[in-house]
Amino acid sequence: MTAITPTTRRRRTSALRRLNPGLRAFMPYLICIGGFLVAWQALSLVLGVARLPGPINVITETWDPYISQPFFDDGGTSKGLGWQILISLQRVALGYGLAAVIGIAIGGLLGLNRFIGKGLDPVIQVLRTVPPLAWFPISLMVFQDANSSAIFVIFITAIWPIIINTAVGIREIPQDYTNVARVLRLRKGAYIRNIVIPATVPYVFTGLRISVGLAWLAIVAAEMLKADGGIGYFIWDAYNAGGDSSSSQIILAILYVGLVGLALDRLVAWAGRVIAKGGN
Amino acid sequence: MATAFLTVDDVSQVFPLDGGGQYVALKDIDLEIAEGEFISLIGHSGCGKSTLLNLLAGLSQASSGGILINGRQVSEPGPDRMVVFQNYSLLPWQTVRQNIALAVNTVMRDASEAERRERVERNISRVGLAHAADKLPAELSGGMKQRVAIARALAIEPKLLLLDEPFGALDALTRGNLQQQLMQICQEAGVTTVMVTHDVDEALLLSDRVICLTNGPAAGIGQILKVNLPRPRQRLEVMEHPDYYRLRSELIGFLQQQRRLKQRQQAISVAAGPAEPEAEPEAEASPVATAPQKLRIGYLPGLDIAPLAMALERGFFADAGLTVLPMSFNRWQQLEEKLQLGELDLAITSATTPLALTLGLRGQPAWPAITPMTVTRNGNALCLARRFIDLDVRDLRSLAARLNGREWPVRLAIAQKGSMQELLLRHWLASGGINPERDIEFHTLSPMAMQAALLAGEIDGFIAGRYRVAKAVEAELAYVVATDHDIWRGHPEKVLTCNEGWAATHDQALLRFCAALMRGGQLCDDGGQHDGLVDLLSRPQWLGNDAAAALQRQFDLGSGQPSGQRLPLPCYHSDRAHVANGAEGAWILTQFSRWGWSSFPSNRLELLSQVYRNDLCDQALELAGFAALRPERQPIAMADGRPFDQDDPLTYLRGQPFSGAAAVDTVTLPPAAASRPLAAR
Repeated sequence: MTAITPTTRRRRTSALRRLNPGLRAFMPYLICIGGFLVAWQALSLVLGVARLPGPINVITETWDPYISQPFFDDGGTSKGLGWQILISLQRVALGYGLAAVIGIAIGGLLGLNRFIGKGLDPVIQVLRTVPPLAWFPISLMVFQDANSSAIFVIFITAIWPIIINTAVGIREIPQDYTNVARVLRLRKGAYIRNIVIPATVPYVFTGLRISVGLAWLAIVAAEMLKADGGIGYFIWDAYNAGGDSSSSQIILAILYVGLVGLALDRLVAWAGRVIAKGGN
Repeated sequence: MATAFLTVDDVSQVFPLDGGGQYVALKDIDLEIAEGEFISLIGHSGCGKSTLLNLLAGLSQASSGGILINGRQVSEPGPDRMVVFQNYSLLPWQTVRQNIALAVNTVMRDASEAERRERVERNISRVGLAHAADKLPAELSGGMKQRVAIARALAIEPKLLLLDEPFGALDALTRGNLQQQLMQICQEAGVTTVMVTHDVDEALLLSDRVICLTNGPAAGIGQILKVNLPRPRQRLEVMEHPDYYRLRSELIGFLQQQRRLKQRQQAISVAAGPAEPEAEPEAEASPVATAPQKLRIGYLPGLDIAPLAMALERGFFADAGLTVLPMSFNRWQQLEEKLQLGELDLAITSATTPLALTLGLRGQPAWPAITPMTVTRNGNALCLARRFIDLDVRDLRSLAARLNGREWPVRLAIAQKGSMQELLLRHWLASGGINPERDIEFHTLSPMAMQAALLAGEIDGFIAGRYRVAKAVEAELAYVVATDHDIWRGHPEKVLTCNEGWAATHDQALLRFCAALMRGGQLCDDGGQHDGLVDLLSRPQWLGNDAAAALQRQFDLGSGQPSGQRLPLPCYHSDRAHVANGAEGAWILTQFSRWGWSSFPSNRLELLSQVYRNDLCDQALELAGFAALRPERQPIAMADGRPFDQDDPLTYLRGQPFSGAAAVDTVTLPPAAASRPLAAR
């Protein structure tokens, strides 16, 4: 601290100021991500390209066809990464959609009815800690079908945070609002419409946001175990193929998985903001 | 009040605590509110103001007692009692208009769509928010939100408007404007309003009456202040009104006293340390594990000690694990000295003694005394030497006539200066136009010496308990001219007195003692026990053989004429005898001041709630298995026809004959921590 004299500090700030404002906002990202890529490349040089391809190798080795043609289709399971992701998203959409509908309904019931809420709480607390893949064998046995099983795993993984958050949201409705309802003698329907739902929406969306992340985690894992197509399948398939560029393909797929997960998270957060407008 | 629109009847609210036990938030609240009245509830935080408001709203149910509106019990919330909550409680996802419409549409289902819409708009513009009707609460300032909440409440035309610190979170300027608006609106709508506040000026500006609540736990109504400022009120005009500053200082004084009491209680509980390691005497069958605790109690012989004798005789103290050593005295002064030295733990004293000791009357150092219970009520009589009967002195009027123009004063004996008996005597004389300072010569004599002095002609009469008077009448020395019934029926006569610090460190023993004494008192009041009581008191260690005469004589009052009147017996238990009633203490203070013995304490409530410990009385009653008693708030009826209103003692004092210019001054209370300064050496 003492090393920085007033003059050096002034010079530094003026150096930053010379940049245009748009660029200045990106400086932290630019520098840190750049640093990360450089470190990765260095690590790859140390370990050898065959074991861990650096960023440059990944791009060159997968450029054709995986990056340049995301939607090629050679028949069977040989499809572009765009298709693979869409297959996975389709499964997530089904499983997560079901989880949202059923989860909110169950959560609502648990929140509104103290008796059921209390009685079922231990069950929920136990089941929600079960890792997603542990559900897979039993769902395969029940459904006898890889696709349905994957959807079920998504469903069962995603449903707990939704149930819990919905129930908590209803229980946490501020006393002030319920007092208003009691003084006005709001009828049940009007109470749910005017107070319960609006007050609970922020909680529900917190649950939905956690769930979408979990669902995306689960689908990749489930597809790696047993599936035809999907981004998880692609990763496992590339590993099994063991070609020159498989490590690069895997790394690229991982990058896509991460980006899609981020996009899903942001999408749900945005939807929550739009729906809960005036709320808390 | 002509019409009680809302009645709060003996309401208490108890909350269970997490660790077992319970917290008494409100205790014995009695209140009547007339239609259209504006009431403020004021008190320190935690005093249960909001709890009371929630009870009025029906949002919670009282643990005991009831609330009636127009004669109907409040059992659930309803739109006829609309609440403006502390934090506005607007629904944040609804616009101003939607918030108000929700209330209107829910409550006025029968009205037509257009009618409802018109009502919503009218109320929005009533609070001047037409421009913000479509905004969400988050876009409004605090003052605007509060206006919305008020508009929402008024839109459904409640019979009772309840406001919970409505302006607490607002800046001064906004608050002032809103107060003015609220006042106008309430007046136009004629709605009965109860507002919780901690702002003295706000309470005075808006209210017809201000209800001051004492500190929790077990908060009660400490004082009720009428605000008779003319309406319509304007802030500035109100402040210039001559009454305003008197009312304001009364309110601020009340709050300061409550704060000091709280600090004092904390200081005492710190000084007392952890609770006594005593076993609760719950199971009567089980022997008390700890060694019996010794309590030394002082008294002067008289019928007032009957409960003590009875409790000892029946072993009530032993059952409670107490060894009680009764110590008899001949003079009150000796007894007080021993009490102050700590050689006595407790004493049965005149009802005036706890206040006299705490105030330090007659130049004594102030000594913090408390009274947890009243031992006896009534039982006094004034007797005059028989020669007065030949002068045709038969009552107050003839006595006054006789005294008029006499040169030498009548000599009357009292047992103790400043005792209840002296106050009653002076009060009675003064009510008949006799100036006790000029027309009467007071002699302080030991009660045992009174009869002899009368015989020797040293005094013309005396006021004493039934026992002494009956003996003098029996000896045909005297006759009775007045009894309690001619002065103040049901007055407190003897109370239990002890040191405040001692009570804090020996609270369990004290409660058990009081409970046993109460049970003794109950037996004394029981007619079936009368013979047993006579036997008991006739024993030499109590009153001796003369007691029988005093107790058994049925009366002609010694005046030679048949009289329907009987010499009253003390009241030991029935008619709420045990209450340690601060209102009675307030009367005693007016008399202290009336006769110039002390200035009237401006912080009387602080003094009274420190000295009159009805909380201990309640606990002891519960321990003894009796129903709880509570001091009543209605004025005390006196035989002279001037009722005493504890909320306005100064007006009472100034209306008393011979009261002179009563000085009002703040009394410094003796420090709580110095429980026994003399014994400590």
